[in-house]
Amino acid sequence: MLEVKLHDIGEGMTEAEILHYFVKPGDSVVADQALVEVQTDKMVAELPSPTTGIVRELLIDTTSTVEVGTTILLIEAENHSGRAEQETAIATAETVPANQATSIATKIKGPHRIKAAPYTRKIARENDVDITLVNGTGPAGRILEQDVYHFMETVSNQISESQETATTDTVQPASPSPADKVASIPAEAETIPFTGIRKQIAKKMTHSLTTIPHVTHFEEIDMTNLLALRQELKADGVSVSAVAFFIKALVVALKDFPIFNAKLDEENGVIILEKDYHIGLAVDSTLGLIVPVLKNAHKKTLLEVHNEMKELNEKARLGTLSGNEMRGGTMTITNVGPLGSTGATPIINHPETAIIAFHKTKKCAVVTDEDEIAIRSMMNISMSFDHRVADGATAVAFTNRFADLIEHPKKLWLELI
Amino acid sequence: MNPVAEKSTVETSKTTRSLTLVQAVTDALGTMLAEDNRVMLLGEDIGKNGGVFRATEGLQEKFGEDRVIDTPLSEAGIVGSSVGLAVNGMIPVVEIQFLGFVYPAYEQIATHVSRVRMRTMSKYTVPMVIRAPYGAGVRAPEIHSDSPESLFTHMPGIKVVCPSSPADAKGLLIAAIKDPDPVLFMEPMRLYRAFREDVPEGMYEVEIGKGKKITEGDDVTVITWGAMVPVAKKAVEKAKAKGIQCDFIDMRTLFPLDQDIIAESVQKTGRVVVVHESHETTGVGNDILSIINKTSFLYMKAPIEKVTGFDVPVPFFALEDDYLPTPKRIGEAIEKVYTF
Repeated sequence: MLEVKLHDIGEGMTEAEILHYFVKPGDSVVADQALVEVQTDKMVAELPSPTTGIVRELLIDTTSTVEVGTTILLIEAENHSGRAEQETAIATAETVPANQATSIATKIKGPHRIKAAPYTRKIARENDVDITLVNGTGPAGRILEQDVYHFMETVSNQISESQETATTDTVQPASPSPADKVASIPAEAETIPFTGIRKQIAKKMTHSLTTIPHVTHFEEIDMTNLLALRQELKADGVSVSAVAFFIKALVVALKDFPIFNAKLDEENGVIILEKDYHIGLAVDSTLGLIVPVLKNAHKKTLLEVHNEMKELNEKARLGTLSGNEMRGGTMTITNVGPLGSTGATPIINHPETAIIAFHKTKKCAVVTDEDEIAIRSMMNISMSFDHRVADGATAVAFTNRFADLIEHPKKLWLELI
Repeated sequence: MNPVAEKSTVETSKTTRSLTLVQAVTDALGTMLAEDNRVMLLGEDIGKNGGVFRATEGLQEKFGEDRVIDTPLSEAGIVGSSVGLAVNGMIPVVEIQFLGFVYPAYEQIATHVSRVRMRTMSKYTVPMVIRAPYGAGVRAPEIHSDSPESLFTHMPGIKVVCPSSPADAKGLLIAAIKDPDPVLFMEPMRLYRAFREDVPEGMYEVEIGKGKKITEGDDVTVITWGAMVPVAKKAVEKAKAKGIQCDFIDMRTLFPLDQDIIAESVQKTGRVVVVHESHETTGVGNDILSIINKTSFLYMKAPIEKVTGFDVPVPFFALEDDYLPTPKRIGEAIEKVYTF
């Protein structure tokens, strides 16, 4: 019997939710046929069959979340009913399925590795703290001594709270059991599973906000000229979104202020200035916030940026983005204008240095340089940046440069490839 | 590690003299020549000339040509003769002009000096001392600047001692001469005349196999010896100005290493920087890491940093300072382990 396990299908993946089985016990399957659909923290993926044979048992219920290395289902390989025979098949290594089974097996990682110095482990051990439950706040998520103490404090607070409300004399367990947790949810309450992408978003946001000192800088930009240009192009049958202009203007501004196209590498004590401009596009999909990456924005024309952005948005909405399309961003933008906001404090997409939110464009009465009141189309932008890496004055200079390019599209032309 | 007999540091005199390290060596030799007539000195030009660094200056005049012997230029011959003298009841103290010149005598040390006790089931011991200036930083030519201590710490049967101050140099050298077994006594030549210190008059011993705490601190343990002590001290002082308190240890003996002082300190700080000027690979620093691994693994808060010479022969003087650990390199290592 061949065990089909959840293997690592993307960098750093540790668990996945079983969404849907394409097969049921008794079904015949051929090698590479899709067996099961799983939801990782980044994407929905299908796991193919490593062999030709008959599905014997589905071991995990759908909606369950399992760790990498867990056996999901059992397949009886074709013409092989016993374990010994299966091993022979692998040993001969001539059949394609056996080769695949071996290669998948080698990809399976062990249990999730805990990053902690020996002393931290000692502290945890001496205080009966299960270190796997402690959140690490050190570099690369390493658990620090103070994280263990913080965990102990949290648990002890929970104990004292539960003791205050306890009606019996029974001793409370050190940490609430799953049954206790369930019992604390009112029966009539409607619940949403806190798993998959939602949980991953929560984890990423918490990590970013707790490790990066955020500063958000606001600016308003006169969009009138750009909108007029877009109308002009539209009349000629060319439709280019305003965001495509934003991306090209951003690349120009980033070239002038490379500190916002950078990553802080704390471990090695350096700030890495990225050479390429890969712009993350925060997209509100049905699954939640997803950030596909528009690669090499500096090498693309406005139209290419526009078309590729449309394609990435579409894939994000359908949940068909590949892992590669979601990696490698050097700065992120979020276009919340269409939804109607006028200001925000966006959270940086760790480990990047900056993020810009574009808000609603609305007509306003503006006092011009000639002291006249004019109706202009104004848009607010909110730029959050990592104050460890850059300072406010640089951020202001950066957004000024960006605003100048948007307010005077002809200047942007001069910079385009 | 060899067990070391428990001995306490004995000071017989409360009066002191301000001496340089090389003067303290001369003082120790003179004290022992006067104390025990079995003690004799052998070496090239050590008699009338007083040796390359004048460590034996005036001793031949005082104790005679039979006790302070000018030998031919033959390191293997001097060491080999000393083995014969030692097993026949004398206590020879050999001067090798530079530790880098010891290589011709290495065969004698490896096959005879270090093995006679084992070979004769302790019927004979080899109570001799091999004194040698060592180390870079004095603009000496090739080989003169070598720091090959780990060739000897790897050899059971011989103790390796390396003082960093005049008072320790005298007390350790007396202890080495009194030791029934052979001792390689490394004298940091760049510290020979670097500073003066009050050194007790007369007879006293500093126990071999015991390190010394120079400064106390809770944050980082800095371990070194010999000529690197003043260099590391600068880094420790700079770290202190930045708020990092170092437990600063001078090992003083490289074989056997003082496990207790290492473990006690590391278990307090959890962060360690080991500094030595010899090459990194198979340097004594690795043995210190091994002791920490054995005694204090669960106390470690950061990976251990080593600041050492590089794995090249000690370069000519134009590049000598680039080869040697500097306060800057050591300071960076201290900050690295502290901020890990």
